Amino acid sequence: MSSITSLHTRKRVSQHVAFWIFRLTALAVVAVLVWILGFLFVNGASVISWEFLTSEPTNGMTEGGILPAIVGTLCLVAGSMLFAFPVGVLSGIYMNEYAKNGWIIRFIRMMTDNLGAIPSIVFGLFGMSLFVNALDFGDSIIAGSLTLGLLVLPIVIRTTEEALKTVDDTLRHASLALGASKFYTVCHVVLPVAMPNILTGLILAIGRVSGETAPILFTVAAYFLPKLPSSIFDQVMALPYHLYVLATSGTDLIASRRMAYGTALVLIVIVLILNICATLIRKHFTKHQAK
Amino acid sequence: MMIQAEHINFYYGTFQALKNINMEIEANTVTAFIGPSGCGKSTFLRLINRMNDLIPDAKMDGTLKVEDKDIYAPDVKVDELRKRVGMVFQKPNPFPKSIYDNLAYGLRVNGVKDKKIIDERVETSLKGAALWDEVKDKLNKSAYDLSGGQQQRLCIARALAVQPSILLMDEPASALDPISTSKIEDLIFELKKDYTIVIVTHNMQQATRVSDKTAFFYLGNLIEYDDTQKIFLNPKEKETQNYITGRFG
Repeated sequence: MSSITSLHTRKRVSQHVAFWIFRLTALAVVAVLVWILGFLFVNGASVISWEFLTSEPTNGMTEGGILPAIVGTLCLVAGSMLFAFPVGVLSGIYMNEYAKNGWIIRFIRMMTDNLGAIPSIVFGLFGMSLFVNALDFGDSIIAGSLTLGLLVLPIVIRTTEEALKTVDDTLRHASLALGASKFYTVCHVVLPVAMPNILTGLILAIGRVSGETAPILFTVAAYFLPKLPSSIFDQVMALPYHLYVLATSGTDLIASRRMAYGTALVLIVIVLILNICATLIRKHFTKHQAK
Repeated sequence: MMIQAEHINFYYGTFQALKNINMEIEANTVTAFIGPSGCGKSTFLRLINRMNDLIPDAKMDGTLKVEDKDIYAPDVKVDELRKRVGMVFQKPNPFPKSIYDNLAYGLRVNGVKDKKIIDERVETSLKGAALWDEVKDKLNKSAYDLSGGQQQRLCIARALAVQPSILLMDEPASALDPISTSKIEDLIFELKKDYTIVIVTHNMQQATRVSDKTAFFYLGNLIEYDDTQKIFLNPKEKETQNYITGRFG
């Protein structure tokens, strides 16, 4: 009797210990995030003002605002998504819905994974030699957007594929059995069901694109360009690169330190806002789905 | 004849799932397919609306006619066939859309855009599936808000909305509770007036309750096909006898 009880207690204790280890690791992740956010907020909040958000940097980038960099980053996010989202989603649809499961698919999938493992600086150099030089776009929004788009293409393709895989085959069959074509089925049943998860890929991609520095270094980012772009062939400033400049290679690093904190805070808040927008769209698509 | 099968053989890769099946099904009857798992009854059902086309490496020979037309002839459009031969699946599979949109789906597939026609057809199909009174005030609610039994009747209504002449049912009540099951069975009895129904079932009582004719499949062979009464009271073949008395299966 007592040995059973002690076995029981031992089991309970080890279960408790295991749960606490899981809990602590999860909390550690959150703690790091909170720390970073708190640190940026404490140091950056004081520079945030209407003027900071709506004016150009002045006085060797130690004063004024960061409007060109904000606009630049928004342009790059929009441009890269306009490229990567349709291409990635269509590729994902092809791989999961149309292609027969042969060696071509395995090859494409392997290549997609490899593409995702390439360091971002390599993308930057590739973008420079292809878009900036060979295609002669110059340092421009379009060159930067395409480079960033390529960088996140694997994320979009893989999340699309995974999203489509979770769509129950019985729904496809129901649609086909009503006389719908495969294309109609994909458009009207499969995609709407998969869309929330596909948008998760979009959210990840947006986060990645808005924060990357290496791919834009040689393709679009300007060190100092206090004006807004007028076409997609213009160069722009971008928040992550601006942050890098202010922190390491500005005209007066001590004086621009607070501007750097402000820039980092703005960058994070922009990513947050874009994520919230994407989450709201995601919600719209789950309206009729199982709770 | 509504459905006519002549010398049907069907293979999954090298495995022969159906062996020389000959069968005729009359209009406005309910035919039950019974037999142990893997006997080929669902495979045969899915030949009638060509759902087996989706399976890679599957192969069929023989002739299968629906309303006197060979449905495997090269000029046959599969989507046209599936509009005439509706299907209800084992598990309720409504689309994650509103009740209304579930019913309108098949019409929109066919290019019907007139809202008045769609409204009308939504109502008649729901009435046909004995679901109208339960859902008429919440047509814009998600189909997922309905109970399992209601969802299955919604799927029946969805199939009816396209106005098929044949309704294939693949164990339509196996995932449902007894009350929902009896509602589906009552419904099958009603639908017989307007449709030809073929139902796969594992439930022998269900076969006797709803069907006019019963076909017993075993190991890919059609062992016996006759009036339901005869199959269950006085089967000719020993295998049928063994199966319906529960000696295997």
